Amino acid sequence: MSTSLRGYFNRGLETPEGKRMDILHNLFQGFQIIFQPDNIMFCFLGVLLGTLVGVLPGLGPTGAISILLPATFRMSTTSAIIMLAGIYYGSMYGGSTTSILVNIPGEAASVVTCLDGHEMAKKGRAGAALGISAFGSFIAGTAGIIGLMVFAEPLAEFAILFGPPEYFAVVLLGLTLITHLSSGSVIKALAMGILGIILSNIGLDPIYGTPRITFDILQLGDGISLVPMAMGLFGISEILTNIEQASVPEILRTKIKGIFPTLSDWMHSKGPILRGSLLGFLLGILPGGGAVIASFVSYGMEKRISKTPELFGKGAIAGVAGPESANNSAAAGAFIPLFTLGIPANVVMALLFGAFVIHGIRPGPFFLKEHPEIFWGVISSMYVGNVMLLILNLPLIPIWVKLLRIPYKILFPLILLFCIIGAYSINSNMFDVLVMVVFGIAGYFFRKFQYECAPLILAFILGPLLELNLRQALLYSSGSLSIFFSSPISIVLIGFSIILFLSPLVPHFKPKRKGPL
Amino acid sequence: MRLGIGTLKNPGPGFLLFWAGIILGILGIIIALLAHSKKKERVKTSDLWKGLKWDKAILVLISLFIYILLLPTVGYLIMTFALLFLLFSILERSALWVPVVFALITTVTTYMIFHVWLDVHLPQGIF
Repeated sequence: MSTSLRGYFNRGLETPEGKRMDILHNLFQGFQIIFQPDNIMFCFLGVLLGTLVGVLPGLGPTGAISILLPATFRMSTTSAIIMLAGIYYGSMYGGSTTSILVNIPGEAASVVTCLDGHEMAKKGRAGAALGISAFGSFIAGTAGIIGLMVFAEPLAEFAILFGPPEYFAVVLLGLTLITHLSSGSVIKALAMGILGIILSNIGLDPIYGTPRITFDILQLGDGISLVPMAMGLFGISEILTNIEQASVPEILRTKIKGIFPTLSDWMHSKGPILRGSLLGFLLGILPGGGAVIASFVSYGMEKRISKTPELFGKGAIAGVAGPESANNSAAAGAFIPLFTLGIPANVVMALLFGAFVIHGIRPGPFFLKEHPEIFWGVISSMYVGNVMLLILNLPLIPIWVKLLRIPYKILFPLILLFCIIGAYSINSNMFDVLVMVVFGIAGYFFRKFQYECAPLILAFILGPLLELNLRQALLYSSGSLSIFFSSPISIVLIGFSIILFLSPLVPHFKPKRKGPL
Repeated sequence: MRLGIGTLKNPGPGFLLFWAGIILGILGIIIALLAHSKKKERVKTSDLWKGLKWDKAILVLISLFIYILLLPTVGYLIMTFALLFLLFSILERSALWVPVVFALITTVTTYMIFHVWLDVHLPQGIF
């Protein structure tokens, strides 16, 4: 984006009213950016691909973004981020379709939608389930964007106060939360996080330039590239796991009618949608949170506060509306830590962080001031993208259902080939393809033994930030650890990290509970 | 160790690596001890592959390694056609022309899109 355009963004109004005007003015400028032909095209492409990968089981947003990262090298940064972000929130819409119709979630944030969504479909209410999930996603997605728009700037201004100890504390808390909130064993997730930090140390030392763990391999001098690594861990390993499976899921052959929810459906869904929007947004901001956890927490909350909890799991519309709203607003909230602190809250944000770095931009507290055109361009693209998604998802549901019938034997060679071309095109050498395959094999075994790959990738991205701030802080303080406890921010953050870090050990010392949890 | 851990005052290039290694080691011991204490619940490693077509996964991997090895010398068109032919016929047996046609269409289309249109430098090999 041209630097001249940056001048249009109004940044000097300090009163509350002035700030409101400021936001509206910037948003207006953002809309001018998104309505440029190439940006609107990439926005459409992003949400279309997002819906597609959301619908197709076996390829989630993480895999899709990893595969498409190299394709963004030649785009402008704004177009690239608009497209990649579109894939992320687009997949949140698409994921529900497979959950409802096939009882197989298209991606992880729609797992919980299977419980009531598929039950509704079995009772002939597939249309209403798909409809309320699309409308809920739209309302919550829009609410999430408003939250992002309002909170990002004050948070970025606050983050300017951060020095190396505070940054170290935030990164440490982020890493601890990511491992703590992962779905499997916390100890295994911690081990994966540490492994990610070790892998991020490969290459030249940032302060002394000493080569580390390069085994005299020239290509390792710059470290392992994020793209082939992510493609291997998420794309190749997924393919290897899927081709082992013998059975192909059957699609429920039901006529989809009545995608516009009835008045009674709305009455039952308005509360879950509003609560899901708020909860999802808050959990989305949390490092390690994101859409998956938001959907589970929303389902649990709706079931707990419902007057008819016995209907949950048997086709309650609130069990679809709540989680589907929560995962969409979480997708918007997750952008906040990336844009304001430069810290990715989840693995998709980590890949977006990678995309920024590839384009020579480092997100952080100064990002909004230095690149307002990207921030506001992406924000307005989300408004436009959500409208596109509503149109794509409601009338076109029969087409998406037909896509589900593409056999995996045709799909997987294509995904594999795109991975190969994607990895190769980064530096035009086979080393990156080899790295991808090696991490594919590693990812396959990680899946088998239930080690999650998300903490590894996040730690890999955050590792250099953690190391640099740790070493800088220690250099400033002449080796005194008290620097990490010199400001209230770092005391609170490190305190939380320590509590969370030690908490997995606690259950092993407690007497065993009897009966169901 | 050769990298130099340094001191707290002046942490060296191996500082974080050293401590990360120690924590990973401790976590490894904890994981092993936990697995040992849950002997009754333990699933045999071989059970993870029970009833699965794991041989197909190995076949895909071997073909990928051969592809990586030969691609620079043989070139994109021939190697990709060969790889895709194998992949399209790996999951289900079908008439010979089906994987041939799919592989041919995909190879040519991707070559046109990436090499000709997007200007991605793909290995030419013997061509």
